[in-house]
Amino acid sequence: MTVAYIALGTIFGFILSRSGAADYDFIQGMFLFTNLQLYGIIGVAVVVGAPGIWLLRRRGRTLLGAPLSIELKPLHRGNVAGSILFGVGWSICGMCPGPILVNIGEGKLYALAALAGALIGAGAFGSLYSRLQGVFALPPLSHEGHEFHEGRNSFNPS
Amino acid sequence: MRLILHDLQPMHWYIAGIGIAGITLALLLLASRRLSVSSGFDDICSLVLASPYFRRTALLSGRSWRLPLLVGLILGGFLSALLGGGWEPTWALGIFDRAIGLGPGGKLAWMFGGGLLIGFGTRLAGGCTAGHGIFGMANFERPSIISTITFVLAGIVTTQVVYGLIFPVVGAQ
Repeated sequence: MTVAYIALGTIFGFILSRSGAADYDFIQGMFLFTNLQLYGIIGVAVVVGAPGIWLLRRRGRTLLGAPLSIELKPLHRGNVAGSILFGVGWSICGMCPGPILVNIGEGKLYALAALAGALIGAGAFGSLYSRLQGVFALPPLSHEGHEFHEGRNSFNPS
Repeated sequence: MRLILHDLQPMHWYIAGIGIAGITLALLLLASRRLSVSSGFDDICSLVLASPYFRRTALLSGRSWRLPLLVGLILGGFLSALLGGGWEPTWALGIFDRAIGLGPGGKLAWMFGGGLLIGFGTRLAGGCTAGHGIFGMANFERPSIISTITFVLAGIVTTQVVYGLIFPVVGAQ
């Protein structure tokens, strides 16, 4: 399975690289409305993905016959606050998370600094989770996503 | 408009969109996985940090597929460069070079600052362009629709300020 995930990631990375989704100029063009390529890519991915997800949910099984369950993301104040920060960062770097890695693969040296920043940012968030929880009404760790279904985690951050 | 990478012609947007939808559906069909990239930052952090957030079962159990996916993203970029004219380290940054024109040190600082916002912001928002923008939108999830509208608007405002007001560019296309 590991090979399958690497293969899917490679195809995904190749598409991001060649479509402009990992290109600084295309990202600025999207936000300046001088190039609409990225809106087209995201739009088609969502419009094609939606009926596909609906059909797979109806099927209810993975390829290997295991139950298909989608881990839903929680709604909280962090959705808006975090997305504002992320949107600013996306514009500054001209990369969202996937393209940071794609740009590193392409040999764009500055992308290493974006990755270092992103990891430190994510590390800071996780380390401060218990303090941010109240401010943004974030879910308790033990009830988050499919960890809840797995029922094996008893961590309480406070 | 051409790519910074070897001045290549980009693939058509509908082909890229269909391809990304295909990856999304393949992950779901293969093993009930939800397309996500920024959660992978947590996975990398969990290799060295031990706070409760990084010790959740959901996180640790996802490492085995999210980390290979991240490795694949790097490989995909590498192959794209290699097949598109050869792999070589570069500092080229398109309109940034023309309008802002900082050297390597300035670019590293600029990118590091943006990266901090991306890492902290996506984790606070619970997802990025992949998990919220593609998967969550395609699955009609309210947190994802709210998040996607917000980060696209924040990007528009930031770029309009940077390249519309402070460092005006002519011919950004």
